[in-house]
Amino acid sequence: MTCQELLELLHDYVGDELVIEQRQTVEFHMTGCKDCTIRVESYRHTVRLARALPRCDKLPAAVEERLRRALKAELGE
Amino acid sequence: MVAPLPERLTPELVFREYAPRIYNLARRMLGNDADAEDVTQDVLLQVVRKLDTFRGESQIATWLHRVTVNAALAHRAKRATRQKHETADAVDEMSSLDGLGGPVKRWNVSPDEPILAAEQAELIEDAINRLPEPFRDVYVLADVEGLPNNEIAEMLELSVPAVKSRLHRARLRMRDALAPHFEGVSP
Repeated sequence: MTCQELLELLHDYVGDELVIEQRQTVEFHMTGCKDCTIRVESYRHTVRLARALPRCDKLPAAVEERLRRALKAELGE
Repeated sequence: MVAPLPERLTPELVFREYAPRIYNLARRMLGNDADAEDVTQDVLLQVVRKLDTFRGESQIATWLHRVTVNAALAHRAKRATRQKHETADAVDEMSSLDGLGGPVKRWNVSPDEPILAAEQAELIEDAINRLPEPFRDVYVLADVEGLPNNEIAEMLELSVPAVKSRLHRARLRMRDALAPHFEGVSP
């Protein structure tokens, strides 16, 4: 397996979607390739950092006010 | 993340619990605040009109993702013509990413759940905003919102392999963009 071939399997490797033989081939490559070990690690970090972003921030005050006004108009209040 | 909702959904409850989530998803997909506000208003009004038809939180949460994605895509389509060439070029560039370029250095990110400082969150948001739209949509839905690939494929009318391919390219681009900020620094 080349570094480029490993890279093309990264999505499935990190998502634990590879069949066992492919997984073993990836892991065997990594035992002899420090660069790919680091590439896999930084790919995983990229996924984890995105998942750590806040998902439910508060609305900006001015936006909240305009949206509430629109909602009230819709409800006839 | 969000407390379980009581049986009866009211417009106020929907606004409080879901408006920020709708706004954030739309802002990340569209890349600007004004468009996100238009989409949020559109989606909220649709929810309020159909409030009696929802049976619970999981049903409304799934429906909201779908409606927000549709509303954001429709909003984008209105301004599509002027961006067409720009997007096509960016998509070509993304497709040729091999992911092997540049020096390979370890990142210093906590092995546990990373806690992002405000400036780190901003860096990530900026990098997301620079992804070409077809890749950004998939990335936001998969890696930020945490939706499974099959649901994303259905929402965006793509095949699952196409979702996986776009997600992979987007992650490679994100990794390249974030590397200078996370290599050898503490989060």
